[in-house]
Amino acid sequence: MQKKPFKRSRKAALIFMVPAATLALQGCGAEKAVEAQVFNTPDECAAFYNPPAQCQAAFAEAQALHPQVAPKYANKQECEADFGTGQCETAPQQHAQGSFFMPMMMGFLAGQMLNRGGMAPQQQQQTAAAAAGRNTVPNQPLYKARDDQSTFRTATNTPVASQPGPTQVRPSAVQPKPATLARRGGFGAQAQQRAAAAPRQATYGG
Amino acid sequence: MKKVPIAPRPGWQAFAESVGFQFHTIDNEPYWDESAYYQFSLAQIEDDLEAPTEQLHQMALDLIPDIIRSEQQLSQLGIPEPFWDAVKDSWQRAEPHLYGRMDFAYDGKGPAKLLELNYDTPTSLYETGFFQWVWLEDQQMRGLLPAGADQFNSLQDKLEQAFAELPLPRPFYFSSVTESQEDKGTVDYLMDIALQSGLDSRYIQLEQIGDIDGQLVDLEGYPIQGLFKLYPWEFMLQEEFAGTILSSDTRFLEPLWKLLLSNKGILPLLWQKYQGHPNLLPAFFDDGKTALNPGWVRKPLFSREGANVELITPQGEKLQQGGPYTDSGYIRQAFAPLPRFGDSYTLIGSWVVGDLAAGIGIREDNSLITKDSSRFLPHIILD
Repeated sequence: MQKKPFKRSRKAALIFMVPAATLALQGCGAEKAVEAQVFNTPDECAAFYNPPAQCQAAFAEAQALHPQVAPKYANKQECEADFGTGQCETAPQQHAQGSFFMPMMMGFLAGQMLNRGGMAPQQQQQTAAAAAGRNTVPNQPLYKARDDQSTFRTATNTPVASQPGPTQVRPSAVQPKPATLARRGGFGAQAQQRAAAAPRQATYGG
Repeated sequence: MKKVPIAPRPGWQAFAESVGFQFHTIDNEPYWDESAYYQFSLAQIEDDLEAPTEQLHQMALDLIPDIIRSEQQLSQLGIPEPFWDAVKDSWQRAEPHLYGRMDFAYDGKGPAKLLELNYDTPTSLYETGFFQWVWLEDQQMRGLLPAGADQFNSLQDKLEQAFAELPLPRPFYFSSVTESQEDKGTVDYLMDIALQSGLDSRYIQLEQIGDIDGQLVDLEGYPIQGLFKLYPWEFMLQEEFAGTILSSDTRFLEPLWKLLLSNKGILPLLWQKYQGHPNLLPAFFDDGKTALNPGWVRKPLFSREGANVELITPQGEKLQQGGPYTDSGYIRQAFAPLPRFGDSYTLIGSWVVGDLAAGIGIREDNSLITKDSSRFLPHIILD
Protein backbone atom coordinates (compact mmCIF):
# COMPACT_ATOMS: atom_id res chain seq x y z
CA MET A 1 0.00 0.00 0.00
CA GLN A 2 1.29 3.39 -0.93
CA LYS A 3 1.90 5.61 2.05
CA LYS A 4 0.12 8.94 1.58
CA PRO A 5 2.34 11.96 1.99
CA PHE A 6 1.87 14.12 4.99
CA LYS A 7 0.50 17.48 3.87
CA ARG A 8 -2.77 16.45 2.30
CA SER A 9 -5.91 14.63 3.37
CA ARG A 10 -5.79 10.84 3.48
CA LYS A 11 -8.92 10.88 1.39
CA ALA A 12 -11.23 13.43 -0.20
CA ALA A 13 -14.49 11.66 -0.89
CA LEU A 14 -18.06 12.73 -1.40
CA ILE A 15 -21.16 10.80 -0.47
CA PHE A 16 -24.12 12.99 -1.27
CA MET A 17 -22.84 15.54 -3.80
CA VAL A 18 -22.46 12.79 -6.42
CA PRO A 19 -25.59 11.72 -8.33
CA ALA A 20 -25.20 7.96 -7.73
CA ALA A 21 -25.21 8.53 -4.01
CA THR A 22 -28.15 10.92 -4.31
CA LEU A 23 -30.16 8.23 -6.05
CA ALA A 24 -29.24 5.75 -3.37
CA LEU A 25 -30.37 8.16 -0.67
CA GLN A 26 -33.70 8.70 -2.40
CA GLY A 27 -34.30 4.99 -2.07
CA CYS A 28 -37.15 3.04 -3.55
CA GLY A 29 -39.10 3.49 -6.76
CA ALA A 30 -41.57 6.20 -7.70
CA GLU A 31 -44.87 6.38 -5.86
CA LYS A 32 -48.03 5.74 -7.89
CA ALA A 33 -50.57 8.51 -8.34
CA VAL A 34 -54.13 7.69 -7.27
CA GLU A 35 -57.44 9.25 -8.21
CA ALA A 36 -59.07 11.90 -6.05
CA GLN A 37 -61.67 14.56 -6.82
CA VAL A 38 -61.65 18.32 -6.55
CA PHE A 39 -64.74 20.50 -6.06
CA ASN A 40 -65.70 24.06 -5.27
CA THR A 41 -68.80 23.06 -3.26
CA PRO A 42 -70.64 19.93 -2.02
CA ASP A 43 -73.36 20.58 -4.63
CA GLU A 44 -70.82 20.51 -7.42
CA CYS A 45 -69.52 17.24 -5.96
CA ALA A 46 -73.01 15.74 -6.11
CA ALA A 47 -73.42 16.98 -9.68
CA PHE A 48 -70.47 14.69 -10.58
CA TYR A 49 -72.68 11.69 -9.66
CA ASN A 50 -71.31 11.33 -6.15
CA PRO A 51 -73.62 10.52 -3.22
CA PRO A 52 -74.70 13.89 -1.78
CA ALA A 53 -74.22 12.69 1.81
CA GLN A 54 -70.61 11.69 1.10
CA CYS A 55 -70.01 15.02 -0.60
CA GLN A 56 -71.36 16.83 2.42
CA ALA A 57 -69.23 14.70 4.76
CA ALA A 58 -66.03 15.29 2.75
CA PHE A 59 -66.73 19.02 2.66
CA ALA A 60 -67.35 19.10 6.42
CA GLU A 61 -64.05 17.28 7.08
CA ALA A 62 -62.20 19.74 4.86
CA GLN A 63 -63.84 22.67 6.60
CA ALA A 64 -62.85 21.32 9.98
CA LEU A 65 -59.24 20.87 8.88
CA HIS A 66 -59.06 24.34 7.31
CA PRO A 67 -58.18 26.38 10.45
CA GLN A 68 -55.55 23.83 11.46
CA VAL A 69 -53.73 23.40 8.16
CA ALA A 70 -54.20 26.70 6.29
CA PRO A 71 -50.91 28.65 6.04
CA LYS A 72 -50.71 31.29 8.77
CA TYR A 73 -49.51 34.86 8.47
CA ALA A 74 -48.67 37.33 11.18
CA ASN A 75 -50.69 40.03 9.39
CA LYS A 76 -53.34 40.44 6.71
CA GLN A 77 -51.04 42.21 4.21
CA GLU A 78 -48.62 39.30 4.01
CA CYS A 79 -51.50 36.88 3.58
CA GLU A 80 -53.12 38.96 0.84
CA ALA A 81 -49.79 39.29 -0.93
CA ASP A 82 -49.94 35.53 -1.48
CA PHE A 83 -53.68 34.95 -1.86
CA GLY A 84 -55.15 38.22 -3.13
CA THR A 85 -57.05 41.18 -1.71
CA GLY A 86 -60.09 40.16 0.30
CA GLN A 87 -59.13 36.49 0.15
CA CYS A 88 -57.85 36.19 3.74
CA GLU A 89 -59.59 35.77 7.07
CA THR A 90 -58.69 35.81 10.74
CA ALA A 91 -57.28 32.53 12.01
CA PRO A 92 -58.25 31.27 15.47
CA GLN A 93 -54.58 31.26 16.56
CA GLN A 94 -53.08 34.29 18.30
CA HIS A 95 -49.56 35.68 18.40
CA ALA A 96 -48.07 38.34 20.63
CA GLN A 97 -49.22 41.23 18.40
CA GLY A 98 -52.70 39.87 17.58
CA SER A 99 -54.33 37.26 15.38
CA PHE A 100 -52.80 35.20 12.63
CA PHE A 101 -54.41 35.41 9.19
CA MET A 102 -55.06 32.61 6.74
CA PRO A 103 -56.43 32.31 3.19
CA MET A 104 -60.11 31.44 2.75
CA MET A 105 -60.92 27.89 1.73
CA MET A 106 -61.66 27.85 -2.02
CA GLY A 107 -62.66 24.23 -2.50
CA PHE A 108 -61.94 20.74 -1.25
CA LEU A 109 -60.15 17.59 -2.20
CA ALA A 110 -62.25 14.43 -1.78
CA GLY A 111 -60.01 11.40 -1.55
CA GLN A 112 -62.38 8.85 -0.09
CA MET A 113 -65.33 9.05 -2.47
CA LEU A 114 -66.24 5.37 -2.45
CA ASN A 115 -69.22 5.14 -4.76
CA ARG A 116 -68.67 7.24 -7.82
CA GLY A 117 -71.23 6.39 -10.54
CA GLY A 118 -71.18 2.72 -9.61
CA MET A 119 -67.49 2.23 -10.50
CA ALA A 120 -66.96 -0.89 -8.45
CA PRO A 121 -63.31 -1.64 -9.34
CA GLN A 122 -62.28 1.84 -8.25
CA GLN A 123 -64.22 1.32 -5.03
CA GLN A 124 -62.51 -1.95 -4.23
CA GLN A 125 -59.10 -0.59 -5.05
CA GLN A 126 -59.53 2.43 -2.79
CA THR A 127 -61.13 0.45 0.02
CA ALA A 128 -58.25 -2.00 -0.03
CA ALA A 129 -55.76 0.84 0.03
CA ALA A 130 -57.60 2.55 2.87
CA ALA A 131 -57.63 -0.70 4.83
CA ALA A 132 -53.88 -1.03 4.36
CA GLY A 133 -53.52 2.49 5.77
CA ARG A 134 -51.44 3.78 2.89
CA ASN A 135 -51.94 5.38 -0.50
CA THR A 136 -54.88 7.25 0.96
CA VAL A 137 -55.78 10.82 0.20
CA PRO A 138 -57.45 12.55 3.14
CA ASN A 139 -60.36 14.91 2.50
CA GLN A 140 -58.96 18.41 2.88
CA PRO A 141 -59.40 22.11 2.07
CA LEU A 142 -57.94 23.68 -1.08
CA TYR A 143 -56.72 27.20 -1.80
CA LYS A 144 -55.92 29.45 -4.75
CA ALA A 145 -52.87 31.70 -5.05
CA ARG A 146 -53.24 35.37 -5.95
CA ASP A 147 -51.21 35.05 -9.15
CA ASP A 148 -52.76 31.73 -10.25
CA GLN A 149 -56.50 31.79 -9.67
CA SER A 150 -57.20 28.74 -11.83
CA THR A 151 -55.20 26.19 -9.82
CA PHE A 152 -56.44 24.43 -6.70
CA ARG A 153 -53.62 23.99 -4.18
CA THR A 154 -53.31 22.17 -0.89
CA ALA A 155 -52.45 24.04 2.30
CA THR A 156 -48.80 23.12 1.71
CA ASN A 157 -48.96 24.69 -1.78
CA THR A 158 -49.09 21.48 -3.82
CA PRO A 159 -51.10 22.08 -7.02
CA VAL A 160 -53.72 19.33 -7.45
CA ALA A 161 -56.03 20.41 -10.29
CA SER A 162 -57.04 23.31 -12.51
CA GLN A 163 -60.71 22.33 -12.81
CA PRO A 164 -63.34 20.52 -10.74
CA GLY A 165 -63.69 16.76 -11.08
CA PRO A 166 -61.35 13.76 -10.96
CA THR A 167 -57.59 14.29 -10.78
CA GLN A 168 -54.46 12.24 -10.13
CA VAL A 169 -52.42 12.93 -7.00
CA ARG A 170 -49.49 11.31 -5.23
CA PRO A 171 -50.76 10.56 -1.71
CA SER A 172 -47.48 11.54 -0.02
CA ALA A 173 -47.71 15.01 -1.59
CA VAL A 174 -51.16 15.76 -0.17
CA GLN A 175 -50.94 14.70 3.47
CA PRO A 176 -52.28 17.58 5.59
CA LYS A 177 -50.03 18.89 8.35
CA PRO A 178 -50.78 21.41 11.07
CA ALA A 179 -49.52 24.78 9.82
CA THR A 180 -46.55 26.06 11.75
CA LEU A 181 -47.19 29.46 13.22
CA ALA A 182 -43.77 30.72 12.27
CA ARG A 183 -42.85 34.08 10.86
CA ARG A 184 -40.51 33.51 7.91
CA GLY A 185 -38.27 35.51 5.62
CA GLY A 186 -36.53 37.31 8.46
CA PHE A 187 -33.08 36.58 7.03
CA GLY A 188 -31.80 37.30 3.53
CA ALA A 189 -33.00 40.86 2.93
CA GLN A 190 -29.47 42.29 2.82
CA ALA A 191 -28.49 39.77 0.17
CA GLN A 192 -31.41 40.86 -1.99
CA GLN A 193 -30.62 44.55 -1.63
CA ARG A 194 -26.96 44.03 -2.36
CA ALA A 195 -27.63 41.71 -5.27
CA ALA A 196 -29.67 44.53 -6.80
CA ALA A 197 -26.75 46.93 -6.24
CA ALA A 198 -24.12 44.52 -7.60
CA PRO A 199 -25.72 41.78 -9.71
CA ARG A 200 -22.40 40.05 -10.42
CA GLN A 201 -21.80 39.18 -6.80
CA ALA A 202 -22.10 35.39 -6.94
CA THR A 203 -21.54 34.67 -3.30
CA TYR A 204 -22.19 35.96 0.19
CA GLY A 205 -19.13 34.13 1.36
CA GLY A 206 -15.73 35.55 0.57
CA MET B 1 7.30 29.02 -5.73
CA LYS B 2 6.72 28.91 -9.44
CA LYS B 3 3.90 28.61 -11.93
CA VAL B 4 4.09 25.63 -14.27
CA PRO B 5 1.86 25.01 -17.31
CA ILE B 6 0.22 21.58 -17.52
CA ALA B 7 -2.31 19.90 -19.81
CA PRO B 8 -5.83 20.04 -18.37
CA ARG B 9 -7.47 16.66 -17.82
CA PRO B 10 -9.58 15.81 -20.86
CA GLY B 11 -13.28 16.15 -20.03
CA TRP B 12 -12.66 17.68 -16.62
CA GLN B 13 -15.70 19.96 -16.99
CA ALA B 14 -18.11 17.03 -17.26
CA PHE B 15 -16.39 15.38 -14.32
CA ALA B 16 -16.67 18.60 -12.30
CA GLU B 17 -20.39 18.77 -12.95
CA SER B 18 -20.84 15.11 -11.99
CA VAL B 19 -19.37 15.82 -8.55
CA GLY B 20 -21.38 18.94 -7.78
CA PHE B 21 -18.94 21.60 -9.08
CA GLN B 22 -21.49 23.47 -11.24
CA PHE B 23 -19.71 26.79 -10.76
CA HIS B 24 -16.40 25.81 -12.40
CA THR B 25 -17.27 28.50 -14.94
CA ILE B 26 -19.00 31.70 -13.79
CA ASP B 27 -20.73 34.00 -16.30
CA ASN B 28 -18.85 32.24 -19.14
CA GLU B 29 -15.51 33.07 -17.51
CA PRO B 30 -13.30 30.23 -16.27
CA TYR B 31 -13.24 30.00 -12.50
CA TRP B 32 -11.46 26.67 -12.01
CA ASP B 33 -8.29 26.89 -14.13
CA GLU B 34 -6.10 23.82 -14.46
CA SER B 35 -4.00 25.01 -17.40
CA ALA B 36 -1.21 25.60 -14.88
CA TYR B 37 -0.35 24.91 -11.26
CA TYR B 38 1.81 26.51 -8.60
CA GLN B 39 4.72 24.58 -7.15
CA PHE B 40 6.12 25.21 -3.66
CA SER B 41 8.99 23.70 -1.72
CA LEU B 42 8.11 22.00 1.56
CA ALA B 43 10.08 24.67 3.42
CA GLN B 44 8.04 27.44 1.76
CA ILE B 45 4.83 25.73 2.83
CA GLU B 46 5.86 24.88 6.38
CA ASP B 47 7.96 27.89 7.32
CA ASP B 48 6.37 30.69 5.30
CA LEU B 49 2.68 29.73 5.28
CA GLU B 50 1.70 27.00 7.73
CA ALA B 51 3.55 28.27 10.80
CA PRO B 52 2.62 31.95 10.29
CA THR B 53 -1.01 30.98 9.73
CA GLU B 54 -1.21 29.27 13.11
CA GLN B 55 0.71 32.05 14.80
CA LEU B 56 -1.44 34.83 13.31
CA HIS B 57 -4.55 32.88 14.23
CA GLN B 58 -3.44 32.76 17.87
CA MET B 59 -2.52 36.45 17.80
CA ALA B 60 -6.00 37.30 16.51
CA LEU B 61 -7.69 35.14 19.13
CA ASP B 62 -5.56 36.80 21.81
CA LEU B 63 -7.05 40.18 20.87
CA ILE B 64 -10.60 39.12 21.65
CA PRO B 65 -10.58 39.40 25.46
CA ASP B 66 -9.39 43.01 25.11
CA ILE B 67 -11.92 43.87 22.42
CA ILE B 68 -14.96 42.57 24.28
CA ARG B 69 -13.97 44.62 27.33
CA SER B 70 -13.55 47.81 25.31
CA GLU B 71 -16.58 49.79 24.21
CA GLN B 72 -14.28 51.90 22.09
CA GLN B 73 -12.97 48.92 20.14
CA LEU B 74 -16.42 47.36 19.74
CA SER B 75 -17.56 50.69 18.29
CA GLN B 76 -14.52 50.97 16.03
CA LEU B 77 -15.33 47.53 14.67
CA GLY B 78 -18.88 48.61 13.86
CA ILE B 79 -20.53 46.05 16.15
CA PRO B 80 -24.10 47.24 16.84
CA GLU B 81 -24.42 48.01 20.54
CA PRO B 82 -27.48 45.78 21.19
CA PHE B 83 -25.27 42.79 20.31
CA TRP B 84 -22.21 43.60 22.42
CA ASP B 85 -23.30 41.34 25.28
CA ALA B 86 -24.18 38.51 22.92
CA VAL B 87 -20.73 38.73 21.28
CA LYS B 88 -19.09 38.66 24.73
CA ASP B 89 -21.24 35.75 25.85
CA SER B 90 -20.49 33.70 22.76
CA TRP B 91 -16.77 34.11 23.45
CA GLN B 92 -16.99 33.55 27.20
CA ARG B 93 -19.06 30.41 26.72
CA ALA B 94 -16.25 29.25 24.41
CA GLU B 95 -18.69 28.55 21.58
CA PRO B 96 -16.81 26.39 19.09
CA HIS B 97 -15.66 27.70 15.74
CA LEU B 98 -15.15 25.64 12.63
CA TYR B 99 -13.05 27.34 10.00
CA GLY B 100 -11.55 30.47 8.50
CA ARG B 101 -9.25 31.61 5.74
CA MET B 102 -6.41 34.14 5.78
CA ASP B 103 -5.38 35.84 2.59
CA PHE B 104 -1.67 36.40 2.01
CA ALA B 105 0.52 38.24 -0.43
CA TYR B 106 3.46 35.85 -0.85
CA ASP B 107 5.94 35.40 -3.68
CA GLY B 108 8.02 32.49 -2.39
CA LYS B 109 10.62 34.68 -0.71
CA GLY B 110 10.39 36.61 2.51
CA PRO B 111 7.48 36.73 4.91
CA ALA B 112 3.91 36.28 3.69
CA LYS B 113 1.95 39.45 4.37
CA LEU B 114 -1.50 39.11 5.89
CA LEU B 115 -4.06 40.98 3.78
CA GLU B 116 -7.17 39.99 5.72
CA LEU B 117 -9.03 37.34 7.67
CA ASN B 118 -12.13 35.74 6.16
CA TYR B 119 -13.33 34.25 9.40
CA ASP B 120 -17.11 34.27 9.11
CA THR B 121 -18.16 33.04 5.68
CA PRO B 122 -15.07 31.85 3.81
CA THR B 123 -15.68 30.15 0.47
CA SER B 124 -13.57 28.32 -2.15
CA LEU B 125 -13.57 25.47 0.33
CA TYR B 126 -14.76 22.77 -2.06
CA GLU B 127 -12.27 23.83 -4.73
CA THR B 128 -9.46 23.64 -2.19
CA GLY B 129 -10.42 20.62 -0.12
CA PHE B 130 -11.86 18.34 -2.76
CA PHE B 131 -11.36 19.37 -6.37
CA GLN B 132 -7.65 20.27 -6.29
CA TRP B 133 -6.99 17.13 -4.24
CA VAL B 134 -8.60 14.99 -6.96
CA TRP B 135 -6.73 16.97 -9.62
CA LEU B 136 -3.40 16.01 -8.06
CA GLU B 137 -4.31 12.32 -7.80
CA ASP B 138 -5.55 12.34 -11.42
CA GLN B 139 -2.45 14.04 -12.79
CA GLN B 140 -0.23 11.62 -10.89
CA MET B 141 -2.20 8.70 -12.29
CA ARG B 142 -1.82 10.11 -15.80
CA GLY B 143 1.91 10.46 -15.22
CA LEU B 144 1.97 14.23 -15.67
CA LEU B 145 3.03 14.80 -12.07
CA PRO B 146 5.56 12.75 -10.10
CA ALA B 147 4.29 10.32 -7.48
CA GLY B 148 6.27 12.22 -4.85
CA ALA B 149 4.35 15.44 -5.37
CA ASP B 150 2.25 16.47 -2.38
CA GLN B 151 -0.22 19.25 -1.63
CA PHE B 152 -0.79 21.44 1.41
CA ASN B 153 -4.39 20.43 1.80
CA SER B 154 -5.64 18.56 4.86
CA LEU B 155 -8.95 20.44 4.77
CA GLN B 156 -11.28 17.50 4.35
CA ASP B 157 -9.54 15.39 7.02
CA LYS B 158 -9.57 18.25 9.49
CA LEU B 159 -13.18 19.25 8.79
CA GLU B 160 -14.33 15.67 9.18
CA GLN B 161 -12.52 15.44 12.49
CA ALA B 162 -13.98 18.76 13.61
CA PHE B 163 -17.54 17.68 12.84
CA ALA B 164 -16.96 14.45 14.71
CA GLU B 165 -15.50 16.16 17.77
CA LEU B 166 -17.23 19.54 18.16
CA PRO B 167 -20.11 19.59 20.64
CA LEU B 168 -22.84 20.33 18.07
CA PRO B 169 -26.61 19.99 18.61
CA ARG B 170 -28.38 17.34 16.53
CA PRO B 171 -29.92 17.59 14.07
CA PHE B 172 -27.57 20.24 12.78
CA TYR B 173 -28.81 22.57 10.04
CA PHE B 174 -26.88 24.09 7.13
CA SER B 175 -28.10 27.22 5.41
CA SER B 176 -27.25 29.56 2.52
CA VAL B 177 -28.93 32.16 0.33
CA THR B 178 -31.18 30.48 -2.25
CA GLU B 179 -29.94 32.38 -5.29
CA SER B 180 -26.23 31.65 -4.88
CA GLN B 181 -25.15 28.42 -6.56
CA GLU B 182 -21.60 28.93 -5.38
CA ASP B 183 -22.64 29.27 -1.74
CA LYS B 184 -24.87 26.20 -2.05
CA GLY B 185 -21.87 24.29 -3.43
CA THR B 186 -19.79 25.26 -0.41
CA VAL B 187 -22.57 24.31 2.00
CA ASP B 188 -23.21 21.01 0.20
CA TYR B 189 -19.55 20.12 0.61
CA LEU B 190 -19.58 20.93 4.32
CA MET B 191 -22.78 18.91 4.77
CA ASP B 192 -21.27 16.04 2.86
CA ILE B 193 -18.29 15.98 5.21
CA ALA B 194 -20.54 16.36 8.24
CA LEU B 195 -22.63 13.39 7.10
CA GLN B 196 -19.47 11.35 6.60
CA SER B 197 -18.48 12.13 10.16
CA GLY B 198 -21.87 10.89 11.39
CA LEU B 199 -23.54 14.22 12.11
CA ASP B 200 -27.32 14.31 11.46
CA SER B 201 -27.27 17.16 8.92
CA ARG B 202 -30.12 18.99 7.18
CA TYR B 203 -30.32 21.85 4.72
CA ILE B 204 -32.68 24.81 4.98
CA GLN B 205 -32.73 27.85 2.72
CA LEU B 206 -31.77 30.90 4.74
CA GLU B 207 -34.97 32.70 3.68
CA GLN B 208 -37.10 29.77 4.87
CA ILE B 209 -35.89 29.87 8.46
CA GLY B 210 -38.82 30.65 10.72
CA ASP B 211 -39.35 32.31 14.09
CA ILE B 212 -41.85 31.07 16.65
CA ASP B 213 -41.90 33.11 19.84
CA GLY B 214 -38.25 34.06 19.49
CA GLN B 215 -36.96 30.59 18.58
CA LEU B 216 -35.56 29.86 15.12
CA VAL B 217 -37.46 26.94 13.59
CA ASP B 218 -37.27 24.73 10.51
CA LEU B 219 -39.99 24.27 7.89
CA GLU B 220 -41.95 21.92 10.11
CA GLY B 221 -41.73 24.29 13.05
CA TYR B 222 -39.12 22.29 14.97
CA PRO B 223 -36.52 24.35 16.85
CA ILE B 224 -33.19 24.88 15.09
CA GLN B 225 -30.65 24.30 17.84
CA GLY B 226 -27.59 24.20 15.64
CA LEU B 227 -27.11 26.24 12.46
CA PHE B 228 -24.24 26.68 10.04
CA LYS B 229 -25.01 29.83 8.05
CA LEU B 230 -23.02 30.84 5.01
CA TYR B 231 -24.30 34.37 5.42
CA PRO B 232 -22.50 37.32 6.99
CA TRP B 233 -23.20 38.06 10.64
CA GLU B 234 -23.21 41.79 9.94
CA PHE B 235 -26.16 41.25 7.55
CA MET B 236 -28.06 39.07 10.00
CA LEU B 237 -27.74 41.68 12.73
CA GLN B 238 -29.52 44.23 10.51
CA GLU B 239 -32.41 42.02 9.43
CA GLU B 240 -35.89 41.34 10.74
CA PHE B 241 -34.85 38.31 12.80
CA ALA B 242 -31.87 40.07 14.41
CA GLY B 243 -33.71 40.06 17.73
CA THR B 244 -34.37 36.34 17.40
CA ILE B 245 -30.61 35.72 17.35
CA LEU B 246 -30.53 36.98 20.93
CA SER B 247 -33.53 34.99 22.17
CA SER B 248 -33.22 31.78 20.19
CA ASP B 249 -31.69 28.66 21.71
CA THR B 250 -29.42 28.17 18.71
CA ARG B 251 -25.73 27.39 18.50
CA PHE B 252 -24.26 29.02 15.38
CA LEU B 253 -21.34 28.19 13.16
CA GLU B 254 -19.48 30.41 12.90
CA PRO B 255 -20.22 31.71 16.43
CA LEU B 256 -21.09 35.36 16.90
CA TRP B 257 -17.61 36.21 18.24
CA LYS B 258 -16.20 35.53 14.76
CA LEU B 259 -17.76 38.87 13.80
CA LEU B 260 -14.75 40.47 15.53
CA LEU B 261 -12.21 38.60 13.41
CA SER B 262 -13.95 38.63 10.02
CA ASN B 263 -13.87 42.39 10.41
CA LYS B 264 -11.15 44.37 8.59
CA GLY B 265 -10.88 46.40 11.80
CA ILE B 266 -8.95 43.47 13.27
CA LEU B 267 -6.03 44.51 11.02
CA PRO B 268 -5.33 47.87 12.74
CA LEU B 269 -5.89 46.21 16.12
CA LEU B 270 -3.33 43.52 15.27
CA TRP B 271 -0.90 46.21 14.13
CA GLN B 272 -1.42 48.20 17.36
CA LYS B 273 -0.55 45.20 19.49
CA TYR B 274 2.10 43.52 17.32
CA GLN B 275 3.60 46.45 15.42
CA GLY B 276 6.51 45.35 13.24
CA HIS B 277 5.54 41.67 13.13
CA PRO B 278 7.00 40.32 9.88
CA ASN B 279 3.66 38.95 8.63
CA LEU B 280 1.68 42.11 9.36
CA LEU B 281 1.23 45.22 7.25
CA PRO B 282 0.82 48.64 8.88
CA ALA B 283 -2.91 49.28 9.20
CA PHE B 284 -5.06 52.04 10.69
CA PHE B 285 -8.71 52.92 11.08
CA ASP B 286 -9.76 55.34 8.34
CA ASP B 287 -12.56 57.87 7.93
CA GLY B 288 -13.22 56.75 4.35
CA LYS B 289 -13.05 60.33 3.05
CA THR B 290 -9.45 61.55 3.24
CA ALA B 291 -7.59 61.15 -0.05
CA LEU B 292 -5.52 57.99 -0.11
CA ASN B 293 -1.73 58.34 -0.44
CA PRO B 294 0.32 56.25 -2.86
CA GLY B 295 1.23 52.89 -1.35
CA TRP B 296 -2.03 52.46 0.59
CA VAL B 297 -5.18 50.39 0.28
CA ARG B 298 -8.58 51.31 1.71
CA LYS B 299 -11.09 48.58 2.62
CA PRO B 300 -14.53 48.65 4.25
CA LEU B 301 -14.75 46.99 7.68
CA PHE B 302 -17.21 44.56 6.16
CA SER B 303 -16.80 43.53 2.56
CA ARG B 304 -16.48 40.34 0.57
CA GLU B 305 -14.62 39.27 -2.57
CA GLY B 306 -12.67 42.50 -3.03
CA ALA B 307 -15.79 44.66 -3.21
CA ASN B 308 -15.40 48.40 -2.48
CA VAL B 309 -11.63 48.16 -2.18
CA GLU B 310 -9.58 51.16 -3.33
CA LEU B 311 -5.81 51.23 -3.75
CA ILE B 312 -2.98 53.43 -5.00
CA THR B 313 0.32 51.75 -5.85
CA PRO B 314 3.57 53.40 -4.77
CA GLN B 315 3.91 54.47 -8.44
CA GLY B 316 0.59 56.32 -8.19
CA GLU B 317 -1.58 53.88 -10.18
CA LYS B 318 -5.15 54.00 -8.84
CA LEU B 319 -7.48 51.01 -8.72
CA GLN B 320 -10.97 50.89 -7.41
CA GLN B 321 -13.46 48.05 -7.17
CA GLY B 322 -17.14 48.95 -6.89
CA GLY B 323 -19.58 47.02 -4.84
CA PRO B 324 -22.39 46.92 -2.36
CA TYR B 325 -20.42 47.41 0.89
CA THR B 326 -20.59 51.15 1.39
CA ASP B 327 -22.33 51.26 4.74
CA SER B 328 -19.58 50.42 7.22
CA GLY B 329 -16.42 52.15 8.43
CA TYR B 330 -13.05 51.77 6.71
CA ILE B 331 -9.46 50.86 7.37
CA ARG B 332 -6.33 51.63 5.40
CA GLN B 333 -3.50 49.19 5.04
CA ALA B 334 -0.01 49.53 3.56
CA PHE B 335 0.07 48.23 0.01
CA ALA B 336 1.75 44.85 -0.43
CA PRO B 337 1.94 43.99 -4.11
CA LEU B 338 0.62 40.60 -5.10
CA PRO B 339 3.32 38.69 -7.00
CA ARG B 340 2.90 38.62 -10.75
CA PHE B 341 3.17 35.40 -12.73
CA GLY B 342 2.81 36.12 -16.44
CA ASP B 343 -0.25 38.34 -16.76
CA SER B 344 -1.76 37.36 -13.46
CA TYR B 345 -1.56 38.53 -9.87
CA THR B 346 -1.59 35.73 -7.34
CA LEU B 347 -3.15 35.54 -3.88
CA ILE B 348 -2.82 32.72 -1.38
CA GLY B 349 -5.74 31.74 0.80
CA SER B 350 -4.55 29.82 3.86
CA TRP B 351 -7.15 27.77 5.71
CA VAL B 352 -7.61 27.28 9.40
CA VAL B 353 -9.81 24.51 10.82
CA GLY B 354 -10.30 24.76 14.54
CA ASP B 355 -6.95 26.29 15.44
CA LEU B 356 -4.78 24.44 12.93
CA ALA B 357 -3.52 25.43 9.49
CA ALA B 358 -5.26 23.15 7.00
CA GLY B 359 -4.06 23.95 3.49
CA ILE B 360 -4.02 26.58 0.79
CA GLY B 361 -6.00 27.63 -2.27
CA ILE B 362 -4.65 29.96 -4.92
CA ARG B 363 -6.55 32.71 -6.70
CA GLU B 364 -5.39 34.61 -9.76
CA ASP B 365 -6.71 37.85 -11.17
CA ASN B 366 -5.70 40.17 -13.98
CA SER B 367 -5.76 43.03 -11.50
CA LEU B 368 -4.21 43.73 -8.11
CA ILE B 369 -7.61 43.34 -6.45
CA THR B 370 -8.69 39.71 -6.11
CA LYS B 371 -12.44 39.37 -6.71
CA ASP B 372 -15.23 36.81 -6.83
CA SER B 373 -14.43 36.26 -10.50
CA SER B 374 -10.73 35.53 -9.85
CA ARG B 375 -9.59 32.14 -11.12
CA PHE B 376 -8.72 29.26 -8.81
CA LEU B 377 -5.55 27.28 -9.63
CA PRO B 378 -4.26 24.08 -8.01
CA HIS B 379 -0.85 23.69 -6.40
CA ILE B 380 1.67 21.03 -5.48
CA ILE B 381 4.57 20.64 -3.07
CA LEU B 382 7.72 19.26 -4.69
CA ASP B 383 11.29 19.76 -3.56
